[in-house]
Amino acid sequence: MKYPRLLVCLLLGGAGNAIAASTDDEIQHKIPPGYEASEARDEQGLWMELRDYELALNKSALLVKDPELNNYINGIVCRVAGDYCNDFRVYLVRNSGFNASMTATGMMQIWTGLIVRSKSSDEIAAVIGHEIAHYTRMHTLERFRKIKSGSAAGSIIDIGIGILTGVPSPLAQSMVALNALAFNREQEQEADLLGAQLLAEASLDPHATYRVWENIIAEESAAAVKRRKPGMFSQTHPNAQTRVDVAKDWVNDRYGPPDQNIIADDAFVAILNKHYQTLMEDQIDTNRYGRTEELLQRHLEIGVEPGVVYYFYGEMFRQRGGTGDRQLAISAYRHSIETGAAPPDAFRNLGYLHLKDKDIQAARTNFKKFLDLEPNASDKAMIEFYLED
Amino acid sequence: MKKTVWFVAPLFVLSLSGCETYSLVQPGSNQVGAVTVTPQKSWNSASAMLTPSARRDSKTWTQDGLLLDRLMIIPDVPDGEAIFKSRDKSAALPVFRADMLPNEIEELVESSMAKMYGEGNAVLSTENLRPQKFGQHQGFMFEIDAAVSDSPDYRGIVGAIVIADRLNLVAFIAALPHYFDKHREAVERLIKTTVVRE
Repeated sequence: MKYPRLLVCLLLGGAGNAIAASTDDEIQHKIPPGYEASEARDEQGLWMELRDYELALNKSALLVKDPELNNYINGIVCRVAGDYCNDFRVYLVRNSGFNASMTATGMMQIWTGLIVRSKSSDEIAAVIGHEIAHYTRMHTLERFRKIKSGSAAGSIIDIGIGILTGVPSPLAQSMVALNALAFNREQEQEADLLGAQLLAEASLDPHATYRVWENIIAEESAAAVKRRKPGMFSQTHPNAQTRVDVAKDWVNDRYGPPDQNIIADDAFVAILNKHYQTLMEDQIDTNRYGRTEELLQRHLEIGVEPGVVYYFYGEMFRQRGGTGDRQLAISAYRHSIETGAAPPDAFRNLGYLHLKDKDIQAARTNFKKFLDLEPNASDKAMIEFYLED
Repeated sequence: MKKTVWFVAPLFVLSLSGCETYSLVQPGSNQVGAVTVTPQKSWNSASAMLTPSARRDSKTWTQDGLLLDRLMIIPDVPDGEAIFKSRDKSAALPVFRADMLPNEIEELVESSMAKMYGEGNAVLSTENLRPQKFGQHQGFMFEIDAAVSDSPDYRGIVGAIVIADRLNLVAFIAALPHYFDKHREAVERLIKTTVVRE
């Protein structure tokens, strides 16, 4: 599974960071449902490589095994895919980042970070529709052939330049790489628009296509530490604002303006509530508290259980550790506890903060409450040490 | 010419020492910065070249190779610094703060190790946070588990002491099931020998 990053970016149709067609024409699929690799040797070879890749992925320790979560995601995939539903094997990967990818063979990877970043099932469907579009438009194979033919031509030109000038030249190969990246960006844009079309055909909201990217822009602007922007030689995707602009125009022209009130669907909120603790603990581990704060605000707005959202506000403030954050964390844990739905850890972590403030009585009260709720807690010895101290 | 020799000679020596990948650590008292540990058997100390995310003053030892097991001795981490280093400025490594209590240092180690494996490439969890005396000083220990993409699962044991507002860590992590089980007893004993100079 160790592939050079650029090659993997070029060959996997990823939503990663990223987007052309006229509004009037339907974007057509290039393959029928149930497609198998043609007799072409390059396609056969690509499928073989991708099957090996899938076998390795099957052994990943990070695959989510929870049947309910997998059924929820598979249900969205089949709704968006329609007749193509049986072409796909969906792998839900426990990764706090925002990504999904698709191979020519129908192997789809979805990272759990997509779930915590979405506001509705429609937004998850938008990313899935994008990936399905990569598959039905045969983007992986096209990219593979583009790189292969370009590399061969580039090598011949570079050898020619080398012979004529006596200087080894990487010029044509570099031009081929840039050309492949531009081609990649065109494919991304096409996948966004066909994805929106698939959403509409499945009676889902095509406006979710660009809302996903508006969410990403909001998160990025809230980030305390910005992610390193890809250099011009690795921009496999159009930037998020370009994706919003192009998709927004296309969807509005084609399907009309969006509904004014966007409400998160019950199925999405229920699944987020059920797996919130695990998903957000992974987000907290990224130490990206600016982004976490933006996600928590989003979760309160869409109706995730407030007692648990406030608990994670406490975690985020405590992790940020700036001036005044301890008091903000104490307030957040108290707010969580007042809802009656706080995780037991809220009492323990509140106890620790009172200990720092040398409010021993409040610390003892909260530690005892934690042990009442979690009598077999694995850190019981540590808590008892402070209670006896 | 003389200047050139003075410039090139240290580089030549450096390049030679840079080629050395492991050096032997003898059993008995071994000092790493402010931390002294007393292993009962010998270890292999990995060079800085093999451990690019290790702090300059820390040491990484191994029995069977770094991919299978590693003992990280990280002394003297001051307020505001991370327990590992990264060349990537957008890595958002968590930093130690002098007012951290054991639960926060446990979270610091968990988040830092998740970064060490590559953000998103691993899911970590910790358990059994408990008090532990190291010499005269009160510290604590806990266990850590890591599920890593494209790798075996790992388990580890961590000992930590904060003295004079500085964090000192001795952390062992090894592949499951064989390598962790093989070294667990010796490593737990080794961690408990930790003494930190004030």
